Amino acid sequence: MKTIADFNPIVQTLYFLSAALCSMLGMNPVMIVISLVGALLLYILRAEDEKPTGHLFTLLLFAVTALINPLFYHNGATVLLVINNNPITLEATLYGITAGAMIIAVLYHFRSFSKIMTSDRLMYVFGKLSGKFALTLSMTLRYIPLFITQMERVRAAQRTTGQYKDGSIADTVKSDLRVFSVMITWALENGIVTADSMEARGYGTGKRTSFALWRMRRRDVIFLLLILLLVGLQLPALLSGALTFTFYPNIRSLPTSPAAILAYISYGALVLTPSAIECIERAKWKYFVSKI
Amino acid sequence: MIVIKNASLRRIISRVVPYIAIPLIVAVGIFVFEEKRWAMVALGVAVCTVLLFLAGFDSGKTGSRRLILSAVLSALSVAGRFIPIFKPVTAITMIAGMWLGGEAGFLVGSMSALVSNIYFGHGPWTPFQMFAWGMIGLFSGYLSVPLRKSRIFLLIAGALAGGLYSMIMDIWTIMWYNGSMDLSLYAAAMVTALPHTIIYVLSNVIFLFILAGPIGEKLSRVKIKYGV
Repeated sequence: MKTIADFNPIVQTLYFLSAALCSMLGMNPVMIVISLVGALLLYILRAEDEKPTGHLFTLLLFAVTALINPLFYHNGATVLLVINNNPITLEATLYGITAGAMIIAVLYHFRSFSKIMTSDRLMYVFGKLSGKFALTLSMTLRYIPLFITQMERVRAAQRTTGQYKDGSIADTVKSDLRVFSVMITWALENGIVTADSMEARGYGTGKRTSFALWRMRRRDVIFLLLILLLVGLQLPALLSGALTFTFYPNIRSLPTSPAAILAYISYGALVLTPSAIECIERAKWKYFVSKI
Repeated sequence: MIVIKNASLRRIISRVVPYIAIPLIVAVGIFVFEEKRWAMVALGVAVCTVLLFLAGFDSGKTGSRRLILSAVLSALSVAGRFIPIFKPVTAITMIAGMWLGGEAGFLVGSMSALVSNIYFGHGPWTPFQMFAWGMIGLFSGYLSVPLRKSRIFLLIAGALAGGLYSMIMDIWTIMWYNGSMDLSLYAAAMVTALPHTIIYVLSNVIFLFILAGPIGEKLSRVKIKYGV
Protein backbone atom coordinates (compact mmCIF):
# COMPACT_ATOMS: atom_id res chain seq x y z
CA MET A 1 0.00 0.00 0.00
CA LYS A 2 1.37 3.39 -0.94
CA THR A 3 -0.35 5.89 1.32
CA ILE A 4 0.59 9.31 2.70
CA ALA A 5 3.00 7.55 5.07
CA ASP A 6 5.08 6.35 2.11
CA PHE A 7 5.59 9.65 0.33
CA ASN A 8 8.86 11.55 0.32
CA PRO A 9 9.34 13.27 3.72
CA ILE A 10 9.70 16.71 2.14
CA VAL A 11 6.33 16.31 0.43
CA GLN A 12 4.78 15.09 3.69
CA THR A 13 6.16 18.04 5.64
CA LEU A 14 4.87 20.45 3.01
CA TYR A 15 1.42 18.84 3.08
CA PHE A 16 0.99 18.97 6.84
CA LEU A 17 2.38 22.49 7.13
CA SER A 18 0.07 23.83 4.43
CA ALA A 19 -2.94 21.92 5.77
CA ALA A 20 -2.39 23.34 9.26
CA LEU A 21 -1.38 26.88 8.30
CA CYS A 22 -4.22 27.50 5.84
CA SER A 23 -6.79 26.85 8.55
CA MET A 24 -4.95 29.09 11.01
CA LEU A 25 -5.20 32.09 8.68
CA GLY A 26 -8.41 34.08 8.63
CA MET A 27 -10.28 32.35 11.48
CA ASN A 28 -13.02 31.38 9.05
CA PRO A 29 -15.54 28.84 10.41
CA VAL A 30 -15.96 27.05 7.07
CA MET A 31 -12.20 26.59 6.62
CA ILE A 32 -11.87 25.38 10.20
CA VAL A 33 -14.68 22.84 9.86
CA ILE A 34 -13.12 21.52 6.63
CA SER A 35 -9.74 21.36 8.36
CA LEU A 36 -11.15 19.52 11.37
CA VAL A 37 -13.02 16.99 9.20
CA GLY A 38 -9.95 16.31 7.05
CA ALA A 39 -7.57 16.04 10.01
CA LEU A 40 -9.87 13.78 12.03
CA LEU A 41 -10.61 11.54 9.05
CA LEU A 42 -6.94 10.97 8.29
CA TYR A 43 -6.08 10.49 11.96
CA ILE A 44 -8.83 7.93 12.55
CA LEU A 45 -8.05 6.10 9.29
CA ARG A 46 -4.39 5.83 10.20
CA ALA A 47 -4.65 5.08 13.92
CA GLU A 48 -7.04 2.20 14.37
CA ASP A 49 -5.61 0.97 17.66
CA GLU A 50 -5.78 4.42 19.27
CA LYS A 51 -7.24 4.45 22.77
CA PRO A 52 -10.24 6.77 23.22
CA THR A 53 -8.41 8.66 26.00
CA GLY A 54 -6.44 10.58 23.36
CA HIS A 55 -9.67 11.98 21.93
CA LEU A 56 -10.92 12.71 25.44
CA PHE A 57 -7.93 14.98 26.01
CA THR A 58 -8.61 16.98 22.84
CA LEU A 59 -12.29 17.26 23.79
CA LEU A 60 -11.27 18.67 27.17
CA LEU A 61 -8.86 21.08 25.51
CA PHE A 62 -11.62 22.19 23.16
CA ALA A 63 -13.95 22.86 26.10
CA VAL A 64 -11.31 24.91 27.94
CA THR A 65 -10.26 26.97 24.91
CA ALA A 66 -13.89 27.58 23.93
CA LEU A 67 -14.75 28.80 27.44
CA ILE A 68 -11.71 31.02 28.03
CA ASN A 69 -12.64 33.60 25.40
CA PRO A 70 -16.15 34.57 26.61
CA LEU A 71 -14.95 34.59 30.22
CA PHE A 72 -12.09 37.02 29.62
CA TYR A 73 -13.13 38.92 26.52
CA HIS A 74 -16.24 41.06 26.69
CA ASN A 75 -16.62 42.63 23.25
CA GLY A 76 -19.70 41.92 21.17
CA ALA A 77 -23.18 43.36 20.95
CA THR A 78 -25.40 40.47 22.07
CA VAL A 79 -25.18 40.00 25.82
CA LEU A 80 -26.24 36.55 26.96
CA LEU A 81 -25.77 36.90 30.71
CA VAL A 82 -23.82 38.97 33.23
CA ILE A 83 -21.43 37.45 35.75
CA ASN A 84 -19.80 39.78 38.32
CA ASN A 85 -20.60 42.84 36.18
CA ASN A 86 -18.82 41.19 33.23
CA PRO A 87 -21.06 40.58 30.23
CA ILE A 88 -20.81 37.20 28.53
CA THR A 89 -21.56 37.86 24.87
CA LEU A 90 -22.77 35.60 22.08
CA GLU A 91 -20.02 36.84 19.75
CA ALA A 92 -17.20 36.09 22.17
CA THR A 93 -18.66 32.62 22.83
CA LEU A 94 -18.82 31.83 19.12
CA TYR A 95 -15.29 33.14 18.65
CA GLY A 96 -14.13 30.88 21.47
CA ILE A 97 -15.78 27.84 19.88
CA THR A 98 -14.22 28.66 16.48
CA ALA A 99 -10.77 29.21 17.98
CA GLY A 100 -11.05 26.00 20.02
CA ALA A 101 -12.04 24.04 16.92
CA MET A 102 -9.10 25.56 15.04
CA ILE A 103 -6.69 24.55 17.76
CA ILE A 104 -7.83 20.92 17.91
CA ALA A 105 -7.90 20.72 14.10
CA VAL A 106 -4.25 21.84 13.98
CA LEU A 107 -3.50 19.44 16.83
CA TYR A 108 -4.93 16.51 14.87
CA HIS A 109 -2.97 17.49 11.74
CA PHE A 110 0.21 17.51 13.79
CA ARG A 111 -0.64 14.25 15.54
CA SER A 112 -0.79 12.51 12.18
CA PHE A 113 2.41 14.34 11.24
CA SER A 114 4.19 13.17 14.41
CA LYS A 115 3.16 9.57 13.75
CA ILE A 116 4.38 9.64 10.16
CA MET A 117 7.55 11.69 10.73
CA THR A 118 9.87 9.11 12.23
CA SER A 119 13.33 10.24 13.27
CA ASP A 120 14.97 9.08 10.02
CA ARG A 121 12.48 11.13 8.02
CA LEU A 122 13.12 14.17 10.19
CA MET A 123 16.83 13.72 9.63
CA TYR A 124 16.31 13.56 5.87
CA VAL A 125 14.44 16.87 5.89
CA PHE A 126 16.99 18.62 8.10
CA GLY A 127 19.92 17.03 6.30
CA LYS A 128 18.89 18.94 3.20
CA LEU A 129 19.27 22.12 5.19
CA SER A 130 22.47 21.58 7.13
CA GLY A 131 24.72 18.54 7.16
CA LYS A 132 26.12 19.28 10.59
CA PHE A 133 22.71 19.77 12.12
CA ALA A 134 21.57 16.44 10.72
CA LEU A 135 24.71 14.78 12.06
CA THR A 136 24.14 16.24 15.51
CA LEU A 137 20.50 15.18 15.32
CA SER A 138 21.40 11.60 14.46
CA MET A 139 24.02 11.45 17.22
CA THR A 140 21.57 12.83 19.78
CA LEU A 141 19.06 10.19 18.78
CA ARG A 142 21.68 7.47 19.07
CA TYR A 143 22.98 8.70 22.43
CA ILE A 144 19.65 8.40 24.21
CA PRO A 145 19.44 4.56 24.18
CA LEU A 146 23.22 4.34 24.57
CA PHE A 147 23.10 6.42 27.74
CA ILE A 148 20.30 4.30 29.17
CA THR A 149 22.30 1.07 28.64
CA GLN A 150 25.48 2.59 30.03
CA MET A 151 23.60 4.02 33.03
CA GLU A 152 22.44 0.49 33.92
CA ARG A 153 26.04 -0.73 33.75
CA VAL A 154 27.35 2.09 35.91
CA ARG A 155 24.57 1.52 38.39
CA ALA A 156 25.39 -2.18 38.64
CA ALA A 157 29.06 -1.38 39.19
CA GLN A 158 28.29 1.28 41.79
CA ARG A 159 26.07 -1.14 43.68
CA THR A 160 29.08 -3.37 44.34
CA THR A 161 30.89 -0.39 45.91
CA GLY A 162 28.15 -0.03 48.49
CA GLN A 163 25.87 2.53 46.87
CA TYR A 164 22.06 2.08 47.05
CA LYS A 165 22.46 -0.10 50.14
CA ASP A 166 19.97 1.15 52.73
CA GLY A 167 17.12 1.91 50.31
CA SER A 168 16.10 5.21 51.92
CA ILE A 169 15.12 8.07 49.61
CA ALA A 170 18.10 10.21 50.63
CA ASP A 171 20.51 7.37 49.91
CA THR A 172 18.89 6.63 46.54
CA VAL A 173 19.08 10.29 45.49
CA LYS A 174 22.71 10.52 46.61
CA SER A 175 23.59 7.36 44.69
CA ASP A 176 21.61 8.54 41.63
CA LEU A 177 23.56 11.80 41.59
CA ARG A 178 26.81 9.87 41.79
CA VAL A 179 25.77 7.64 38.87
CA PHE A 180 24.67 10.72 36.89
CA SER A 181 28.01 12.39 37.52
CA VAL A 182 29.87 9.30 36.33
CA MET A 183 27.61 9.20 33.31
CA ILE A 184 28.39 12.78 32.28
CA THR A 185 32.14 12.17 32.47
CA TRP A 186 31.77 8.96 30.50
CA ALA A 187 29.52 10.57 27.89
CA LEU A 188 31.86 13.52 27.30
CA GLU A 189 34.94 11.30 27.03
CA ASN A 190 33.09 8.88 24.79
CA GLY A 191 32.01 11.79 22.61
CA ILE A 192 35.60 12.97 22.21
CA VAL A 193 36.69 9.47 21.24
CA THR A 194 33.92 9.38 18.64
CA ALA A 195 35.02 12.76 17.28
CA ASP A 196 38.64 11.63 17.02
CA SER A 197 37.59 8.43 15.32
CA MET A 198 35.51 10.39 12.83
CA GLU A 199 38.33 12.80 12.07
CA ALA A 200 40.78 9.92 11.65
CA ARG A 201 38.46 8.54 9.00
CA GLY A 202 38.43 11.83 7.15
CA TYR A 203 35.30 13.56 8.42
CA GLY A 204 35.17 17.13 7.22
CA THR A 205 37.85 16.76 4.56
CA GLY A 206 35.54 16.45 1.60
CA LYS A 207 31.96 16.63 0.53
CA ARG A 208 29.69 14.46 2.60
CA THR A 209 27.19 12.17 0.97
CA SER A 210 24.31 10.62 2.81
CA PHE A 211 22.08 7.66 2.26
CA ALA A 212 18.33 8.01 2.39
CA LEU A 213 15.54 5.63 1.60
CA TRP A 214 13.59 8.23 -0.34
CA ARG A 215 13.80 9.58 -3.84
CA MET A 216 11.47 11.97 -5.60
CA ARG A 217 9.30 9.44 -7.36
CA ARG A 218 6.62 10.26 -9.86
CA ARG A 219 3.84 10.11 -7.28
CA ASP A 220 5.81 12.44 -4.99
CA VAL A 221 6.16 15.01 -7.75
CA ILE A 222 2.46 14.71 -8.64
CA PHE A 223 1.39 15.14 -5.01
CA LEU A 224 3.83 18.05 -4.58
CA LEU A 225 2.44 19.84 -7.64
CA LEU A 226 -1.10 19.17 -6.42
CA ILE A 227 -0.29 20.72 -3.02
CA LEU A 228 1.27 23.78 -4.68
CA LEU A 229 -1.70 24.16 -7.04
CA LEU A 230 -4.33 23.85 -4.30
CA VAL A 231 -2.50 26.23 -1.96
CA GLY A 232 -1.99 28.64 -4.85
CA LEU A 233 -5.73 28.65 -5.53
CA GLN A 234 -6.37 29.69 -1.93
CA LEU A 235 -3.78 32.45 -1.87
CA PRO A 236 -5.91 35.21 -3.46
CA ALA A 237 -8.61 34.70 -0.84
CA LEU A 238 -6.16 34.31 2.05
CA LEU A 239 -4.12 37.39 1.16
CA SER A 240 -6.95 39.73 0.15
CA GLY A 241 -8.84 39.03 3.36
CA ALA A 242 -11.83 37.63 1.42
CA LEU A 243 -11.96 34.82 3.99
CA THR A 244 -11.92 37.06 7.04
CA PHE A 245 -14.98 36.45 9.15
CA THR A 246 -16.08 39.31 11.36
CA PHE A 247 -17.11 38.37 14.89
CA TYR A 248 -17.15 41.76 16.61
CA PRO A 249 -19.30 43.72 17.30
CA ASN A 250 -21.88 41.74 15.31
CA ILE A 251 -21.51 38.46 13.48
CA ARG A 252 -21.75 38.96 9.74
CA SER A 253 -22.80 36.30 7.27
CA LEU A 254 -20.16 33.87 6.02
CA PRO A 255 -17.91 35.16 3.24
CA THR A 256 -19.21 33.82 -0.08
CA SER A 257 -17.28 35.79 -2.69
CA PRO A 258 -16.02 33.74 -5.67
CA ALA A 259 -12.47 33.83 -4.27
CA ALA A 260 -13.72 32.50 -0.92
CA ILE A 261 -15.72 29.67 -2.56
CA LEU A 262 -12.66 28.74 -4.61
CA ALA A 263 -10.60 28.67 -1.41
CA TYR A 264 -13.14 26.42 0.36
CA ILE A 265 -13.17 23.95 -2.52
CA SER A 266 -9.41 23.83 -3.01
CA TYR A 267 -8.71 23.58 0.72
CA GLY A 268 -11.28 20.79 1.01
CA ALA A 269 -9.60 18.97 -1.87
CA LEU A 270 -6.20 19.45 -0.19
CA VAL A 271 -7.10 18.04 3.23
CA LEU A 272 -9.22 15.20 1.86
CA THR A 273 -6.63 13.94 -0.66
CA PRO A 274 -4.56 11.84 1.82
CA SER A 275 -7.69 10.17 3.23
CA ALA A 276 -8.90 9.50 -0.32
CA ILE A 277 -5.54 7.95 -1.26
CA GLU A 278 -5.70 5.84 1.90
CA CYS A 279 -9.21 4.57 1.09
CA ILE A 280 -8.41 3.85 -2.58
CA GLU A 281 -5.27 1.93 -1.67
CA ARG A 282 -7.12 -0.10 0.92
CA ALA A 283 -9.85 -0.96 -1.57
CA LYS A 284 -7.20 -1.97 -4.11
CA TRP A 285 -5.49 -4.14 -1.51
CA LYS A 286 -8.75 -5.82 -0.59
CA TYR A 287 -10.28 -6.36 -4.02
CA PHE A 288 -7.19 -7.03 -6.07
CA VAL A 289 -7.75 -10.15 -8.14
CA SER A 290 -4.82 -12.03 -9.60
CA LYS A 291 -5.07 -12.28 -13.38
CA ILE A 292 -2.74 -15.23 -13.68
CA MET B 1 16.15 15.98 -6.72
CA ILE B 2 14.13 19.10 -6.13
CA VAL B 3 16.16 20.51 -3.25
CA ILE B 4 19.47 22.12 -4.20
CA LYS B 5 22.43 20.29 -2.71
CA ASN B 6 23.71 21.67 0.53
CA ALA B 7 26.38 24.29 -0.18
CA SER B 8 24.51 26.48 -2.65
CA LEU B 9 21.17 26.13 -0.83
CA ARG B 10 22.85 27.25 2.37
CA ARG B 11 24.35 30.28 0.68
CA ILE B 12 20.96 31.24 -0.74
CA ILE B 13 19.22 30.84 2.61
CA SER B 14 21.84 32.87 4.47
CA ARG B 15 21.43 35.73 1.99
CA VAL B 16 17.68 35.57 1.43
CA VAL B 17 16.39 35.00 4.97
CA PRO B 18 17.72 38.03 6.90
CA TYR B 19 17.50 40.60 4.10
CA ILE B 20 14.39 39.51 2.20
CA ALA B 21 12.30 36.86 3.98
CA ILE B 22 12.02 38.31 7.49
CA PRO B 23 11.26 41.92 6.37
CA LEU B 24 8.84 40.54 3.78
CA ILE B 25 6.99 38.46 6.38
CA VAL B 26 6.67 41.46 8.68
CA ALA B 27 5.56 43.75 5.84
CA VAL B 28 2.99 41.24 4.59
CA GLY B 29 1.74 40.82 8.15
CA ILE B 30 1.32 44.57 8.60
CA PHE B 31 0.01 45.70 5.24
CA VAL B 32 -1.61 42.83 3.40
CA PHE B 33 -3.71 40.96 5.94
CA GLU B 34 -6.77 42.92 6.91
CA GLU B 35 -6.66 41.99 10.55
CA LYS B 36 -3.15 41.85 11.84
CA ARG B 37 -2.18 38.21 11.86
CA TRP B 38 0.66 38.42 14.32
CA ALA B 39 0.62 34.69 14.99
CA MET B 40 1.66 34.05 11.40
CA VAL B 41 4.28 36.79 11.51
CA ALA B 42 5.75 35.48 14.75
CA LEU B 43 5.74 31.88 13.52
CA GLY B 44 7.37 32.93 10.25
CA VAL B 45 10.08 34.91 12.00
CA ALA B 46 10.78 32.05 14.45
CA VAL B 47 11.07 29.52 11.60
CA CYS B 48 13.33 31.88 9.63
CA THR B 49 15.63 32.49 12.60
CA VAL B 50 16.05 28.77 13.17
CA LEU B 51 16.60 28.24 9.43
CA LEU B 52 19.16 31.01 9.28
CA PHE B 53 21.01 29.60 12.21
CA LEU B 54 21.07 26.08 10.84
CA ALA B 55 22.22 27.34 7.45
CA GLY B 56 25.01 29.40 9.00
CA PHE B 57 26.09 26.48 11.11
CA ASP B 58 28.08 24.74 8.41
CA SER B 59 29.95 27.80 7.25
CA GLY B 60 31.14 28.70 10.73
CA LYS B 61 34.15 26.94 12.16
CA THR B 62 32.53 24.53 14.56
CA GLY B 63 34.95 21.69 15.12
CA SER B 64 33.62 18.16 15.21
CA ARG B 65 34.54 17.79 18.90
CA ARG B 66 32.44 20.76 19.92
CA LEU B 67 29.66 19.42 17.71
CA ILE B 68 29.70 16.04 19.43
CA LEU B 69 29.80 17.57 22.89
CA SER B 70 26.67 19.49 21.84
CA ALA B 71 25.05 16.22 20.79
CA VAL B 72 25.95 14.67 24.17
CA LEU B 73 24.41 17.57 26.09
CA SER B 74 21.30 17.54 23.86
CA ALA B 75 20.82 13.85 24.55
CA LEU B 76 21.18 14.49 28.28
CA SER B 77 18.57 17.23 28.22
CA VAL B 78 16.16 15.18 26.08
CA ALA B 79 16.52 12.32 28.54
CA GLY B 80 15.98 14.85 31.33
CA ARG B 81 12.65 15.90 29.84
CA PHE B 82 11.30 12.53 30.94
CA ILE B 83 11.85 13.43 34.61
CA PRO B 84 8.36 14.12 35.97
CA ILE B 85 7.50 17.77 36.72
CA PHE B 86 11.05 19.18 36.95
CA LYS B 87 12.70 19.63 33.56
CA PRO B 88 16.42 20.34 33.23
CA VAL B 89 16.31 21.39 29.54
CA THR B 90 16.79 25.13 30.10
CA ALA B 91 19.52 24.54 32.67
CA ILE B 92 21.51 22.21 30.41
CA THR B 93 21.05 24.61 27.47
CA MET B 94 22.47 27.43 29.58
CA ILE B 95 25.39 25.28 30.71
CA ALA B 96 26.13 24.40 27.07
CA GLY B 97 26.06 28.07 26.10
CA MET B 98 28.31 29.04 28.98
CA TRP B 99 31.07 26.51 28.36
CA LEU B 100 30.84 25.69 24.66
CA GLY B 101 29.85 29.10 23.29
CA GLY B 102 26.62 30.67 22.10
CA GLU B 103 26.42 28.74 18.85
CA ALA B 104 26.61 25.40 20.65
CA GLY B 105 24.08 26.71 23.17
CA PHE B 106 21.64 27.55 20.40
CA LEU B 107 22.21 24.12 18.88
CA VAL B 108 21.64 22.28 22.17
CA GLY B 109 18.48 24.27 22.93
CA SER B 110 16.86 23.87 19.53
CA MET B 111 18.00 20.26 19.21
CA SER B 112 16.48 19.37 22.59
CA ALA B 113 13.15 20.84 21.52
CA LEU B 114 13.19 19.11 18.14
CA VAL B 115 14.24 15.67 19.41
CA SER B 116 12.14 15.60 22.56
CA ASN B 117 9.07 16.54 20.50
CA ILE B 118 9.53 13.27 18.62
CA TYR B 119 8.40 11.73 21.90
CA PHE B 120 6.13 14.52 23.18
CA GLY B 121 4.47 15.39 19.87
CA HIS B 122 5.26 18.01 17.26
CA GLY B 123 3.01 20.99 16.71
CA PRO B 124 3.07 24.61 15.66
CA TRP B 125 4.82 25.19 18.98
CA THR B 126 7.95 23.26 17.89
CA PRO B 127 9.61 26.21 16.05
CA PHE B 128 8.78 28.43 18.99
CA GLN B 129 10.35 26.08 21.50
CA MET B 130 13.38 25.74 19.24
CA PHE B 131 13.55 29.52 19.02
CA ALA B 132 13.05 30.19 22.74
CA TRP B 133 15.50 27.56 24.00
CA GLY B 134 17.96 28.39 21.23
CA MET B 135 17.95 32.07 22.18
CA ILE B 136 18.48 31.18 25.86
CA GLY B 137 21.53 29.12 24.82
CA LEU B 138 22.82 31.89 22.56
CA PHE B 139 22.54 34.59 25.24
CA SER B 140 24.15 32.45 27.92
CA GLY B 141 27.02 32.14 25.46
CA TYR B 142 27.25 35.93 25.20
CA LEU B 143 27.09 36.30 28.97
CA SER B 144 29.39 33.36 29.68
CA VAL B 145 32.07 35.35 31.54
CA PRO B 146 29.87 36.90 34.27
CA LEU B 147 27.74 33.73 34.44
CA ARG B 148 30.77 31.58 35.15
CA LYS B 149 32.21 34.05 37.61
CA SER B 150 29.25 34.62 39.91
CA ARG B 151 27.02 31.85 41.14
CA ILE B 152 24.36 34.26 42.40
CA PHE B 153 24.18 35.92 38.96
CA LEU B 154 23.91 32.47 37.36
CA LEU B 155 20.97 31.48 39.55
CA ILE B 156 19.21 34.82 38.95
CA ALA B 157 19.78 34.48 35.19
CA GLY B 158 18.48 30.91 35.39
CA ALA B 159 15.31 32.05 37.15
CA LEU B 160 14.83 34.81 34.55
CA ALA B 161 15.41 32.41 31.66
CA GLY B 162 12.87 29.95 33.09
CA GLY B 163 10.29 32.70 33.50
CA LEU B 164 11.08 34.16 30.09
CA TYR B 165 10.69 30.80 28.38
CA SER B 166 7.28 30.34 29.95
CA MET B 167 6.26 33.88 28.98
CA ILE B 168 7.41 33.48 25.37
CA MET B 169 5.39 30.28 25.08
CA ASP B 170 2.36 32.06 26.61
CA ILE B 171 2.66 34.86 24.05
CA TRP B 172 2.67 32.24 21.33
CA THR B 173 -0.36 30.43 22.81
CA ILE B 174 -2.35 33.67 22.85
CA MET B 175 -1.31 34.65 19.34
CA TRP B 176 -2.25 31.22 18.07
CA TYR B 177 -5.62 31.39 19.79
CA ASN B 178 -6.49 34.98 19.06
CA GLY B 179 -4.56 35.78 15.88
CA SER B 180 -3.05 38.83 17.51
CA MET B 181 -1.80 39.91 20.89
CA ASP B 182 -4.50 40.65 23.45
CA LEU B 183 -3.41 41.84 26.87
CA SER B 184 -6.43 40.68 28.88
CA LEU B 185 -6.17 37.17 27.39
CA TYR B 186 -2.42 37.24 27.98
CA ALA B 187 -2.98 38.12 31.62
CA ALA B 188 -5.45 35.24 31.88
CA ALA B 189 -2.95 32.86 30.29
CA MET B 190 -0.20 34.06 32.61
CA VAL B 191 -2.41 33.44 35.62
CA THR B 192 -3.41 29.95 34.48
CA ALA B 193 0.20 29.15 33.59
CA LEU B 194 1.54 30.52 36.88
CA PRO B 195 2.08 27.08 38.50
CA HIS B 196 4.01 25.99 35.39
CA THR B 197 6.05 29.19 35.37
CA ILE B 198 6.92 28.73 39.04
CA ILE B 199 7.94 25.13 38.38
CA TYR B 200 10.07 26.25 35.40
CA VAL B 201 11.82 28.88 37.48
CA LEU B 202 12.31 26.54 40.43
CA SER B 203 13.54 23.58 38.42
CA ASN B 204 15.92 25.85 36.54
CA VAL B 205 17.40 27.24 39.72
CA ILE B 206 17.62 23.79 41.33
CA PHE B 207 19.24 22.15 38.31
CA LEU B 208 21.66 25.02 37.80
CA PHE B 209 22.54 24.86 41.49
CA ILE B 210 23.21 21.12 41.32
CA LEU B 211 24.57 20.74 37.79
CA ALA B 212 26.35 23.96 36.79
CA GLY B 213 29.38 23.33 39.00
CA PRO B 214 30.02 19.62 38.26
CA ILE B 215 29.13 19.67 34.55
CA GLY B 216 31.08 22.89 34.07
CA GLU B 217 34.08 21.37 35.77
CA LYS B 218 33.88 18.26 33.60
CA LEU B 219 33.40 20.31 30.43
CA SER B 220 36.35 22.58 31.16
CA ARG B 221 38.47 19.54 32.01
CA VAL B 222 37.58 17.91 28.70
CA LYS B 223 38.28 21.21 26.93
CA ILE B 224 41.73 21.49 28.49
CA LYS B 225 42.55 17.82 28.08
CA TYR B 226 41.59 17.59 24.41
CA GLY B 227 41.78 21.23 23.36
CA VAL B 228 38.27 21.69 22.04
